[in-house]
Order: sequence, then structure tokens, then C-alpha cells
Amino acid sequence: MSALLPVGTTLQFQGVSGPVTVVRLLGGGGQGQVYEAVYAKERVALKWYFPRCIAKDLGLEQRLRECIRATSPNQSFLWPMALLSLPFETASRLSIPPESFGYMMALRPADYVGVHEHVGGHLQISVRNVLRACFFLAEAFHELHLKGLCYKDISLGNLFLQPQSGRILICDNDNVDVDGRDLGCAVGTPGFMAPEVLLGRMKPGASSDQFSLAVLMFRLLTRHDPLKGKLELQIRCLDEPARRRLYGEDPVFIFDANDERNRPDPLDHAAALLTWPIYPAHLQALFQQTLGAGMKDPSRRVYTGQWKTGLARTLDQRRLCPDCGQEVFRDLEQASLCWACGGPLNPAPRFHTARGSVAAQPDNELHPHHFDPLASERIDMPLAIVEAHPVKAALLGLKNLSDETWTAELENGESSPVEPGQRCNLSLLVRLRTSLGSIELIR
Amino acid sequence: MAFPDVQLSKRPLHFIYLCDCSGSMQANGKMQALNQAIRQSLPGMAEVARQNPEAKVLVRAVSFAHQARWHVAEPTPVDQLQSSWVDLQAEGLTAMGEALRLVAGVLRTPPMEQRALPPVLVLISDGAPTDDFEDGLRTLMREPWAQKAVRLAIAVGHDADLDTLQQFIGAEPSSAAVPPVAMPPVAGLAAGGDRLPGEPVPRSGRRPLQASNATSLAQYIQWASTAVVGAASMPVSQVGIPSTAESNVPLPDLPPTVIGQVVW
Repeated sequence: MSALLPVGTTLQFQGVSGPVTVVRLLGGGGQGQVYEAVYAKERVALKWYFPRCIAKDLGLEQRLRECIRATSPNQSFLWPMALLSLPFETASRLSIPPESFGYMMALRPADYVGVHEHVGGHLQISVRNVLRACFFLAEAFHELHLKGLCYKDISLGNLFLQPQSGRILICDNDNVDVDGRDLGCAVGTPGFMAPEVLLGRMKPGASSDQFSLAVLMFRLLTRHDPLKGKLELQIRCLDEPARRRLYGEDPVFIFDANDERNRPDPLDHAAALLTWPIYPAHLQALFQQTLGAGMKDPSRRVYTGQWKTGLARTLDQRRLCPDCGQEVFRDLEQASLCWACGGPLNPAPRFHTARGSVAAQPDNELHPHHFDPLASERIDMPLAIVEAHPVKAALLGLKNLSDETWTAELENGESSPVEPGQRCNLSLLVRLRTSLGSIELIR
Repeated sequence: MAFPDVQLSKRPLHFIYLCDCSGSMQANGKMQALNQAIRQSLPGMAEVARQNPEAKVLVRAVSFAHQARWHVAEPTPVDQLQSSWVDLQAEGLTAMGEALRLVAGVLRTPPMEQRALPPVLVLISDGAPTDDFEDGLRTLMREPWAQKAVRLAIAVGHDADLDTLQQFIGAEPSSAAVPPVAMPPVAGLAAGGDRLPGEPVPRSGRRPLQASNATSLAQYIQWASTAVVGAASMPVSQVGIPSTAESNVPLPDLPPTVIGQVVW
């Protein structure tokens, strides 16, 4: 691939005050090329558009300007930071079309990988971190939609994932637009597009984002396509007209609550049949609503806030099967069976707080929203985490991650302070007193 | 505690090179340039294949000179081909028609799978066929999978018969030489993936790609093996009005350096 910008040179762009050194070409796509660059001693990424992309997408520059002015909804976006163009003389000297432009954004850290690595089965990742990635995705869209913006074109291609944490980064934010305005030309990617958008009946916006978000989360959680069931098996050549039918004209969710025409095939769609039962009924119901009633009626789609609540609750239910060690997400108060080994699961020890119930299992966390009725769900600033004893792994403790001292009330009637950074042995614990409220341990 | 070891079931995407190995390909290092271009394109093709969880990209190659024969007969996963590609050798005539008949033989079911992604056929030639090309094309186009295929042609040098290559790609819709044949339904199931009644006949609107030097040849091969494979195997972001174009696979734009830069 030949570079549009001269690699290894330092250029003075319009749009930023200092010089930018173009370090290397990172990659290219249909729209343009992405470079690693250095600006003000910091490594950044620089996207530069092909002239034909600029010619086709007349609203691009205005959208980018407005995005930059609006600032990033949260830390999950590789958001445009500055619009860049070259002075006429520089562009002429370098044989770069003078009307070209690009933008600067943060550089994606190397430990973030494209989510296709997970969906393709090339990645080791826990179910917990896939659920966390979905939460961060719902949270990112929540913040975006609250700003009155919409994304329009989310798919596997513009999402990156840190497998060790579930943190995500959303790139290609140049289609972001004010919801309902339609200053863009992107309509979406078949398979992720809402049916009414694919059929050209509606322009993409926040409600089609809600559909695409559900599809993307389903693909992350199951490694399967929510519309590929028996109806897909009737298609011999999966080309554009076939996709239009499957995703637009007669779309049926494979786990639709009422319509069984598109159920997964036991052989061809084994991934869906194995992974769907991992998730609790309340989370499955959100998919069934968005991809069921919400398939044809955009007003029935689950909102981003509902997804956040459902995903946070699912994470709270996480426990490990005593037989096989797999992560299980079942109702904590009832006996059930492990989805992986079929072994019996008894009601699990759990923490009760004013606003929630969290399984007392390693790596599970308590967050401000478990105490504060006004706090919206966040999972990136835990107040406490369950940890195993460094020597006696069977011994669990709850680590105080807050900056206040808590008081532990023990079974023998005694009480003990738990300083910030200290762990409280769960085997003796009855409850913890904190300034946010009490944490009861239910066995 | 790992995520279960499952993945989306994949559909095969058959990618077939049809390479002119006639004596004239010996001139000016054309044969070496083609071998290099194909070798160099394989890592990028493997990366596109990896990025697409829904497709299993399988490559084959036919060489044609005195006669047509399979150069890579087994549908080979692209990552395996990187270590096993044997260079093509130039000698003899241009049995292009026979090459098309050979390909026709593998595009019927069986051996072709019941369900697949649109195949990609890339015809590369520097001359004119010396056998019955018309018969070869008729045989090929009788196969529904050939009609569904993305058919590309690359003309090496200035002596390639562009009309023949255009015929392979498909003429303009108004001068359709081959009547469309509907894909027969999967046994016991209704037909899917075909055109809706009244939809235009899918044709490639493309012209043969003219590679006048080794660099542009390499760029075209790269484009066919990455961008086109991507378009045929996974849905790409769409702009403008989402609808079916004249082709059943939306062909990506050629890289700008190939289109040729205008002077400013």
C-alpha cells in the first residue's frame, strides 16, 4: 500500500498549533489511511481521507468539526481531537490534493485487538470479560445518545477489545451525527443494520443504533449471528440479495419468543445453542424484545440504560461452578444446573446491599450503584472486590477499595476495622458497615 | 473459565486464479512478475480471511498453455498456500477455453458445497485464446455458481485480448449473451439467495484491469485477493441508498494509485 502522506517527515498542518511528524502507515481501508504520528511529544493517530471519499461524503467535514467541538462521550471512543488540512503550498509540493483533510485521534494501545479475533474464536477470554465489554459498549452508546448524537455504523469492524479487562475502544467515529439530522452518507453494514434502514425506509439514527447494538452484543456473547438460523440454511449463495432478504425483508431472531421459523440448526449453528443458555433469562429477554417486537417497531427496542442495568445485574450473578470451574450466571437464590457440565448448583453466598445482590465469588465487585439509588451503573470504579487468599486459595476476602475505613461485624459478635486496601475474611463475616450503607453476607 | 471454544459456522469462499502460462508470458519477466504478485498478495489475503469469522477462504489455481490443468487442485486455505505455492511456468499456447471448462467442472454441486459465499474467479492473460473460448465460456456460465461468482480479469501488457476478457467478466446488461439461470433450490427447501422477480440481471460493470507493468499487476492482484475477497465474504459498510446494485456483490473501489492520480 502506498502512503498518501510522506512518512518520516514533519509537517505543519492547519488545525493544530505545532508540527506533526508522520511516523508510519498503520493501515488503510475504503475511506483513507491511518498513520502513527507524533504531536507535542505524544504519539497520536492520524486518519487521512482519500479525495474520492471527501467528494462522496459532503457532510464529512462538518460532522467532524461538530464531533471535535462536542468532545468524546466517554473514554471508550477513539474520538477525533483536531481536524487537519495542509496549507496549499505544502499540499502542492507533496502532490497531495489541497482539498484533502484528516483528523487526529488517540493511538489505540497495542493490547486492544479487533473483536473479530474473539468472534472468530482466536482469543482466550472469560465470559465475564465479554459481558464487561458489552457493558462498556452499552455505556458508550448511552453517553453518545445522551449527547443527542448517533453512531450509525457500528459493526465488528470498528470495535476493539482488551481481553484482560473487557475494556473497549470504538473507532471510525466520523459517521457520528446529530440524531435525526442525516448529514452523513453511511447507512450501516448489512447484518448489523436495522431492517428499516437496510430496506431504505428510514435513515439511521439512535433507534437503529439500538438495534445494531443488540446485534453486536449478541455476536460477542454467543459468537453467532442472531439472524442465522434455519432460514439461512435455505440460502445457497449468501450474496447481497440474500442478505437483504435475511436481514431486511423477513428478519427473524433465532431465539424469537413466538416465531420458531429461524431456530438454530444443531449442526450448523452449534455455537448459538451452546452459548445462549449461559445467560440469565432477564438478559435473554432484552434480546428477545429488541430483536422480536423491536425488529419491525423501532419504538419497542431496549434502551441503552436498560442494557446497562441488565448487564450489570448479570455480572453480579457470576459464580464459579464447584465441579468444572466455569463461570455461571444464574439466579443466586435458587438451585440450578451448570450450563457447561450439568453439575448441581446450590444457592450461592452473596452480598446484599441497599440496591443489589452480588455473588461472593473471586473477582466480583461492589460498585457505587449497589448503594446509591441515584448512581447509574458503572463498573470501572469498584468500591470492593472479592479476592482469594494468596496462600490459602479457598479462603475468600472482600478487599476495601474505598478510601474510608469499614467496620466488619463477625459471627462471634466482635467487630474489626477494615482499612482501605485490606481484605476482610468472609468465613467469619456477618456484615460490613460503611458510610455508603451496610454489606450483608448471606450464606 | 475461558469462553467456550465455539465459533460461527463458516461458509466456504472459493477463490480461483486462471493464469495464462503461454509462451508469451516468458517475455519481459511477465511470468515471474505474476508469480511474485500472487506470492506477495497471500499474507494480505490471509489477514482478510482471519478478520472474517464467517468465511473459509479456499484458493485454487488453473494454469493454461497447450492445455489447461490444475496448478493448485485442492481448495487450499490461504494461510497454507503461503508455504506451498509453486511458481507457474510459461510455455506453449493459450488454452483459455479449456481453463473455463475445467473451472466449470468444480463449480457444480457436487463437488461444490450446497451452501457457500459467491466464488471469486480471477482470469489473468497477456494474449488471446488459441482454443474455443466461446464454448468454454458457455460451459462455465451454465453453472449457477459461475453466474453468482465475482468474475475479474487482468490484462497483462498491451497485447491482451480485452474483448475476450470483457466477455468473461460479463457484457453490459443490454447485450447479455448468457441467459440467467436460477440457482436450483437446496433439496427439499425453497430457493434463497437468488434475485427477486423483476430485479435486474446481476452483471459486473467492471472492465478488464490493464496491468502495464509489474507494479500495477501486483496492485490488481492485491486488490482482488483482499478487497474483493472481503466484499464477497463479509458485509461491508454501505453508503448512500442501501439497495442491491447491478451486481450481487458490491465491488470495492480500486486503490487510488491504480486509478491514477490527477496532476495538481
